[in-house]
Amino acid sequence: MKKLPIFCPSCESNLLVSELSCSNCDTIISGTFNLPKILQLSPEDQEFVLQFVLNSGSLKKMAIQMDISYPTMRNKLDEIIEALQPNS
Amino acid sequence: MKTILFNPIKKYQENKLLIIGIIATLLGSCLAYVFNARFDGIIDIHFVESINFWQPLLDNLINISLLSILLFFLGIYINKKTRFIDILNSSLISRIPLCFVPIFNTGTTIEKINTTLLNTLTTDKIPDLSSIPVSFFIILTIFSLVSILILIWSIALLHNGYKVATNAKEIKHIVLFFMCVIVAEIISKILITNLPY
Repeated sequence: MKKLPIFCPSCESNLLVSELSCSNCDTIISGTFNLPKILQLSPEDQEFVLQFVLNSGSLKKMAIQMDISYPTMRNKLDEIIEALQPNS
Repeated sequence: MKTILFNPIKKYQENKLLIIGIIATLLGSCLAYVFNARFDGIIDIHFVESINFWQPLLDNLINISLLSILLFFLGIYINKKTRFIDILNSSLISRIPLCFVPIFNTGTTIEKINTTLLNTLTTDKIPDLSSIPVSFFIILTIFSLVSILILIWSIALLHNGYKVATNAKEIKHIVLFFMCVIVAEIISKILITNLPY
């Protein structure tokens, strides 16, 4: 799977979505759309959020699954929460 | 490997760390009893002439409890989600390197050297250091250097564990941590020196 770029390689500003296309009928929609906050996270953080949801929000279960300690898991979640804040 | 040696709190589950910490504390207390060592402060080890088996155990109990309680209150101030078990594990694990220091006193070597040096320095007006065997200085230098490295390792373990347990990131948090360790050292020293056990 291709990595979704979220920062401009030239000036490092957040990138916007300017085109969406349908792979079935080739319809193309142009415009300026913001990337959802969750897609602005790094791929690892997105994977963490996915695992968090799949584990019903149990950090304990995730910690055992990922063979890492609970406080490390909780710190990671705190960092993601901070990154997802509206003004971050 | 670096994580195991310097930051096990980051990787291992709390139950495993708690069991290892308790076993190491008991083992350390036994070694201290065998080799006449007292843990008379959270970062102190001194060798004595005679010892009772419960003394190093109570020393460890005071040191670990005091350090854990003080660091836990600081942890709560820094991050409300701080758990006592993580702070307790940090305190227990950080003392593992110190558990092996008493072995240096095999055959009461260090205690004898200390006594000889103290006698020479305190009884003579002009201390005659030439009367002390060179081997004493060599052993004492090696012991001092290794002890300093072990102490640094122990504090690194405590600091890294505290950082994971509290998610401390700011310089202020680190300064408060070291202040807390110094306060714990002073209180533990007073308690261990004055409690009649």
